[in-house]
This record gives sequence, C-alpha cells and structure tokens, in this order.
Amino acid sequence: MTRRVPFSAVFGAVLIALFVGCSAVSQTPSVPPKHPEELPAGRVDCLECHQDVSTGALKPYATFRHSGVFINAHGTYARQGQNLCSSCHAPAFCQTCHARKEEMKPNVKMGNRPDRMAPHRGDYLVTHRIDGRIDPGSCFRCHGNKSDAQCRQCHR
Amino acid sequence: MGRPTAVVSSGKGLFPVLVAISLLLPLLLAGTSRAADLSVSSNTYLRYYQKEFTGGNKDTYAPLYEYLSADATNLGGTPVSFHFYGWGRVDLSDPSGGTSGKESGDLGSAYLEYLHPKGNAQMKFGRFFFAEGVAAETIDGAFFKVKTPIGFGISGYGGAPVEHSILDNTDVGSSIYGGRVFYNRSGLTEIGVSYLKEKGPFEGEDREMYGGDLWLHVFGPVELTAQAAYNQATKGMASQRYALRVVPGSRFDISAGYEAYSYKDLFQTTLHPAFATPSIDNTDKVQTIFGIMDWEVFSGLTLELVAKNIKHDNDNPGNANRGEAGIRYAFNGKRDVFGLSAAAVTADRDENEYQEYRGFITYSPSKFHLALDALAQQYKKEIDGKKHAYQVVASAGYKVTAYLALSGDLTYTQSPNYQDDYAGLLRATLELGTATGGKK
Repeated sequence: MTRRVPFSAVFGAVLIALFVGCSAVSQTPSVPPKHPEELPAGRVDCLECHQDVSTGALKPYATFRHSGVFINAHGTYARQGQNLCSSCHAPAFCQTCHARKEEMKPNVKMGNRPDRMAPHRGDYLVTHRIDGRIDPGSCFRCHGNKSDAQCRQCHR
Repeated sequence: MGRPTAVVSSGKGLFPVLVAISLLLPLLLAGTSRAADLSVSSNTYLRYYQKEFTGGNKDTYAPLYEYLSADATNLGGTPVSFHFYGWGRVDLSDPSGGTSGKESGDLGSAYLEYLHPKGNAQMKFGRFFFAEGVAAETIDGAFFKVKTPIGFGISGYGGAPVEHSILDNTDVGSSIYGGRVFYNRSGLTEIGVSYLKEKGPFEGEDREMYGGDLWLHVFGPVELTAQAAYNQATKGMASQRYALRVVPGSRFDISAGYEAYSYKDLFQTTLHPAFATPSIDNTDKVQTIFGIMDWEVFSGLTLELVAKNIKHDNDNPGNANRGEAGIRYAFNGKRDVFGLSAAAVTADRDENEYQEYRGFITYSPSKFHLALDALAQQYKKEIDGKKHAYQVVASAGYKVTAYLALSGDLTYTQSPNYQDDYAGLLRATLELGTATGGKK
C-alpha cells in the first residue's frame, strides 16, 4: 500500500508557514536584492567598503572576504543562506559548476579566466582516477547525483 | 510510482529555443523601460577538436553551445523577479555527446521569486537550484524561508527532484521535500537543524537525511563552523565537517579542521556508478585533517598554503597527504593576475602519488584580454604507459563594445590519454541590462 503524503503535506505546511510567517517577518532591513554599486574586477573584498556585521547574513563581512579559505568552504556558508550571495552573484553563477547535467568543464568555459577557481584543470580524466580514489567525498558533492555524458563512457 | 514527465528533459531542441530567446530578449529590453530591471547574459562557445581511435579512424567535433541566463527583477515595481538559465548544443560535425547524439541541452532554472521588501522572507516557484542545510538540490517545486524578529526562522521546500541518473536501469527520485529550522543572533551565532526526504531508488531505500549546521563567533576574529549529516536510511552518520577559522582583518585568513565520511552512509543516495559497488568498496570510511591559509603579504601579493591528511580505514586505497603552496599577484588595478603553484600528493600506494605545477597570467591592455595557463603533472606510477601530463591554454580576447566580448582559446594537451592534442574554442559573451548595480 502506498502513502500519499509529500505534496499535500508540504504545501499545507507552506501555507500555514506563510499565514503565520507574514505577520512575524523580521522588519530589520536585510540585504538588498542587488548590490547598489558596480563591483570591481577580480576577487571581491567586502571589507574595502563594509564594516561590522552584514544585516543580511548576520555574520561579519570579514567572513565573506573572497579569500582562498572562503572559496574552499563557500558551501558551508551558502547552506545557511544565499541572500547575501545573490546580492552580488546572478543565480546562474552557482550553476556554472552546480549543474545537474553538463558537458563543458568550468575551466573550458573559463579558459580566458585562469585566475578563477576551477578544480578540473588539465586532462582531468586522468587525474580524477587518483583524486577519486583518495578522496571520493570531495567528488561526490557535485557528481553524486549528476554527471555529464563523458562519465558514462567508463562508469556503467 | 511513476516519475513526473515534466522533470525529464533530454535537452534536444533546446538550442534553437535558447538562440531565439537570446535574440528576442535584447529587443524586448528596449521597450520595457521601468516595468522591470532586466539583465541578459549569453555565452556562445564553438569548440573544435579531433579524436583518433584505435585502427586509425578519426572523428572531428565542432559542438556549438549556447548558455543563456536572464533575470527580470522588480517586476511591475513589486519585489517579484523571474530568473532563467539553460544551455543547448548542436554539433556542426560528428556527434560529440555520445548517446545524446548531435543535440543536447538542459534547462537549469526557470523560476519566479518573491523577496520580502526587507529581505527577511523569500519564496521561489519553478525550477531552481538551492542550498539549505543538508540539501543542495535542483528541484521543480517551491521553496520558502522566513526570518522572525526574535532570530528564529524556518524554511521549507517540496517538489520533484531534477536529477540525471547514469546508473544502469535506475530511475531518479520521484519527489523531494524537507526544511530547516534555525536560530541566529547577529554577529554571534547561527544554528540550524534540517531534514530532507526524497522518494526514490537509492539502493532500495528512500533518501532520508537529518542535518545540523553551526556558525559561531567564538571571540575576536575566531569563528567555528560545523556541519553534520545523518543518513536515516542506513542509520549511520554520513558526513561531518568542523572548522576553526581566524580572519583578523582583510589580509590574513586561516582555517583548520576535521572532516569525516562513511562510504556506505554518504554514497547510498548516489545515481552515479562511480560511487556504487562494484566500483568502490563501500565499507571504507575517511577521516581528514585539513589546514588552509591565505595571506596578502603586501598589496596585491597573496600567499596560499593548503595541507590535507586523508586517512582511510581500508588499506586500498590507503592513506594520502596533499600539500600545496602558491602565490598570486594582482596587478593592473586588480584586473589581471599572475599565479604560480606547486602541489604534491604522497600516499601509501604508489599509484596515488603525483606532483603538480602550474603557472598562469592574464593581461588586459585597453580592450584586449590575454591569458596563458600552463599545467604539468608527474605521476609516481605510470598511467597507461606515461608518467607525465602537460596542458597549455592560450587565450586572446577583445571587448568589441561595453556589452559584447569575443575571445578564442587554443589548448595543447599531452597526457596518458593524448599524444599531442590541439583543441580550439571561440567564445562570444553578450551582457545586456537595464539595471544599475553589480552582479557577477
């Protein structure tokens, strides 16, 4: 016997949450939908203009300084909220890498931007055999439930 | 239970649609003035490469890709926006996509979004990517998130998962829902618990995960982050990550931490055969200690160090260490970067050891943009009879107008897979918009 729960339960919960939530939404000004000024080229350092705590993420601006440390751990922060990210990045920015189906590696698309983070440089079809053996969890984050057509040539 | 047909998308025929939209949207921009703030980004790539097969047969590939994204915000003066992202391919020569033939594509996102005027509530409807607690998904469905004045908040989502299975005879999940309850206090902490359930064929079980996440401002420039995911289907801890980070200003950033995961509990949800038996032994567990540092020694010059110790329960693949050191120098008003790096992987087993060296530079005089990227790898044990791999990418571009840039890349590769391989790419980037302000 099958149970028919998910959709009705979820949408019921959404409606209740909206009904209650609309009167309980914080009125503290949060992050704007779009950064009001043009952003400079290269890696962004919020601290060049901002100080203290972001009202959107409620974390210090220093936390979001785009250093190698932040870029390496950006998923940790994104999983707590993307409002601050989307103030400066278009939604499609994430999907340059986080796509469910993809044929072009990010570093091929961005061959003119070697300064950008792109983890599959070189002939990664070779190197991924090693990286995949020693730390498959790092591959799984992006490839666990998605892949490109090339994967199927060997992984069946 | 059948899978909703709306989720399945081969992408065939998407290319002409994307081209039509990309041609029409710029025309629409002119007439919409203040009805909405519009921005359109079109990236067109034409690749060219050959493959020589055993027996001397040679195929020539010329896939033409169109990646299109569009964002219409402030629709009708309301806090509602529409976002779109998708790509399509047509082959101008031999089929490049294996089983997908001469056409392919994917609708990445197409959704309406409501953002509360103060930014503390949000709703999305349609197809979108999101990350929330234990979830990092693309779904066809709905998402909401609300923050209350006392710091508590709630988010929820539900719909059909947008996935792509390459496991033989395995479909993808049929429905997904979940949410997160959190508390945050400005500048001090954010703590959340999350839940995700996806009905589907994940090794005979649904995908059911509980998650916990923490950001804590310990004192001064010190912060602690923690993430954990528990797999209810396998009754085991799937993954954990704890990191201490010190950011004492805008020039120095250092983080160290511990990470662990269990193959059986993390990979149970996979739709990719590389993470399923017999490709891997799912009895293995991994524990990692890592450290990463980013130090701007003086204006423009940054030193980066990364170290990672990876410990496996099983002798095969065995333990490994990865160390990496690099410098980056930003110049020309930070528009250009020069970088050098060296990395070494040492391991219990010879086949897991290699070294990697990389150098790159970009240079943007006036409207030109030039880039050179060189990578060399040395394997301790031969791979398909070779111990070395090299790749050089040279790129040259020109900004035709404020909105249109053209560029071309030439890539040379020598590796265990390639004897002497040359590949070309032409790129056209079009950025149009009626809004002011920054988006990247």
